[in-house]
Amino acid sequence: MTDSIMFDAVREEIAYAFDRTVFFREHMEANGLRPDDIRDAADFRRIPPTSKVHYRRNFPAGVLAKGYTLNSPNVMRFQSSGTSGDRLNSAILSFDLARRQATAIGVNRRFDELWRPGSRPRICRFAPPNCSDVECATGFSTLADRTLPDGTLVLTVAHDLLATPEWQIVKALDEIEVYQPDMLVVDPTHFAFLTRWARRLGRRITSPRTLHMVCGYTLMTRVARRQIEAFMGADLPIGDMIGMSELGYLGFECHHGQRHINNRDFYVEFVRDGTPVEDGETGELYVTTVDDGLVPRIRYATGDYFTPLTSACACGSDLPLVRIEGRATHMIRLADGRTVTPGAVDAVIGDAPWIDVYKLEQDRSGACTFRYVANDTAQAADATALELRLTEALAPNRVHLEAVDYIATERSGKFQPCISHISAEGA
Amino acid sequence: MTMRNTCRDDFPALRREIDGQPISYLDNGATTLKPRSVIQAVTDYYETNGANIHRGKHRLSEEASDAYEASRTVIARHISAAANEVVLLRNTSEALNLVAGGLGLDPDASIVGCLDAHHSQMLPWRRVGRLDLTRVDSHGRLDRDHFRELLRGRPKVVALTHCSNVTGVIHPVADLIAEVRAACDATIVLDAAQSLPHQRINVRELDVDFMAFSMHKMLGPTGVGCLFGRSELLAELRPLSVGGGMVDWVDLDGSVDRRIPFKFETGTPAIASIIGSAAAIRYLEALDGPQTHQHAQDLCAALVDGALARPRVNLIGPPDQTDRIALATLRLESAVPAGEVARLLSDSYGYMVRSGHMCAQPLVTELAGGETLRVSAYLYNEVSEIEGFYQALDELLSWMAPVAVAARR
Repeated sequence: MTDSIMFDAVREEIAYAFDRTVFFREHMEANGLRPDDIRDAADFRRIPPTSKVHYRRNFPAGVLAKGYTLNSPNVMRFQSSGTSGDRLNSAILSFDLARRQATAIGVNRRFDELWRPGSRPRICRFAPPNCSDVECATGFSTLADRTLPDGTLVLTVAHDLLATPEWQIVKALDEIEVYQPDMLVVDPTHFAFLTRWARRLGRRITSPRTLHMVCGYTLMTRVARRQIEAFMGADLPIGDMIGMSELGYLGFECHHGQRHINNRDFYVEFVRDGTPVEDGETGELYVTTVDDGLVPRIRYATGDYFTPLTSACACGSDLPLVRIEGRATHMIRLADGRTVTPGAVDAVIGDAPWIDVYKLEQDRSGACTFRYVANDTAQAADATALELRLTEALAPNRVHLEAVDYIATERSGKFQPCISHISAEGA
Repeated sequence: MTMRNTCRDDFPALRREIDGQPISYLDNGATTLKPRSVIQAVTDYYETNGANIHRGKHRLSEEASDAYEASRTVIARHISAAANEVVLLRNTSEALNLVAGGLGLDPDASIVGCLDAHHSQMLPWRRVGRLDLTRVDSHGRLDRDHFRELLRGRPKVVALTHCSNVTGVIHPVADLIAEVRAACDATIVLDAAQSLPHQRINVRELDVDFMAFSMHKMLGPTGVGCLFGRSELLAELRPLSVGGGMVDWVDLDGSVDRRIPFKFETGTPAIASIIGSAAAIRYLEALDGPQTHQHAQDLCAALVDGALARPRVNLIGPPDQTDRIALATLRLESAVPAGEVARLLSDSYGYMVRSGHMCAQPLVTELAGGETLRVSAYLYNEVSEIEGFYQALDELLSWMAPVAVAARR
């Protein structure tokens, strides 16, 4: 799609949202704007960004387009705890979700065989329980209770991931065996945990069908990926999804391991301090939906930061490359004014074969504590070397390493590898 | 300024806005908000004292002990009991478990309960004896004939619920207790957690043996449950837990329990919260009067009438305002999930209401067949909030209505 065709689609979306939704009309009028005022990208940036708060507070009456209800055909409703507990209620058209998924996953040739005419992949989900719209945290629900209308089986896991009891893990492993999925949709930290248990129990995670794995929900750490790849084997296609509950697939990892942003179903902007960033600079992702009949979103500030990259990818996709940096509320703020993203922290840590799981936490004073659960292969020098690297990356702030055998999951059920109380409170 | 508006000003939490929107707190059956005087009493203890009670001779400990015991007296006086008849525990559940576990019942002892009991007044009895539940009619009123029939089995315990947290029905406990006394010598245990916040109870006049309630449901801090017990019965009750604070003497051969009520109060209690509880009672008593009662009736009428006026909701409870508190439990149409509605009422409209089985699953299953939505008002709520709630519910249900086709563009 050319830029001009895409911008025409954006203008059409603006006109539609203005005409069909109470919230967006008021949003425009409050800023003295009408759809006709938006003629080019510069005009477009006059529209103040919209946010999750707007869509939460105005759902459904203010943001659902006229002509729809929550029970209209193909409307999928959901509630999510959101990242860091920023909860959300929303709805999405199933075919929009599928369209965005197809565009995004299309960058990865290893997923091609998943989509066969007339067949629907059998999906198992192992992810933070509050992300599910079924009760999966207690483990007392049946397999049928946890099967969503689209056929996805939601596996049971405790809110506090590392405190999940053995019987619940066995249940998840058993259900994967019974369900025989084509695709595992997982939080990578959660699934790495499952692989550690499976190894301990002498179990395998397989399916008579060709398994594929989509990772999402939280940042995919190199530590988690290392464990998943080691346990599942090199034949398993793994794709890191860039996504949001309310929008679906915003991007995907190609078969060359690069992340591509979906600029076909969304008009994307990377913004810092109100202006677009240059390639190679980090900015917040704003998305404008294209042809979203249900909940059109204009300049929706996602709170997720990316660095757009100029280089072309050998995979052949024309979807642009980005580097994932993480949530604004998770950025480490240093005393010298620099910001270190969760993605950058993860790069410092690397795949760390001696670590099972980690969490870097910045407290209100600015000091950082790196907690990690080490495995049997850990050597004394490993922690020392990592401490040096982290100290250098996070200077002038203080970093303290702490070996532990348990790290709590946040109340939302998500295990965030990098959090900052300074950033969270400033949000 | 009206009494109601003055009252609202006393509750700092009511000033809160979420996503730029004021909130309306209508989950008072679960717990109530706290007035500033209660918050101040709790804060004062921590700011000016903070010492432990009963086991110290120093000045701060004595002051804390005095404030703690003075609070017990305030609570006891509120229900016309003696101070030594009030045991200070964590919550109503603990109080009821203490009685159930402490009576020394035989495993086959007959116990009469009520179908509309909260799990806290059901499960402890199911554990210690043979529990038969008195049926309720389709509106949640007790089946008095069935109750009398069960009494003919000469139960050892009759576990009554004064007010259902699902239907809002206030049962005629004075009559029920008289019937029990006439029929048998059962110990009568009353769950007053939902009733005492709304009306005064005189335990002497009521002739009840034990009565449990929670301060947090009547403006007090969380973490304080109270058990009233007639002194001679409390003296016979076996403590549920043992340890520090409940003994007068310990040697290598044994120990001597303290007198009532202290023998049931093991370990350091929620000192600040208990001091705050007295402030809550003072606040309630200051408001107690015809105006407050009329306001409660207005809230009740708004809740009941609002439900009855809507064909798409089914009121679980009596279709009138007689003998009930300002609480309405609603069953929505089968395709409308109560939990999702509660969440949207909160996030999109600012109405905080509860959904689920309300810790009374047998009753909710019987009367509603599934999860429900509960709206419960208290003295700081306004009738306009109830009206606003129903308008929000109407709007929300209209968005959840089935439609045939939806096309764009």
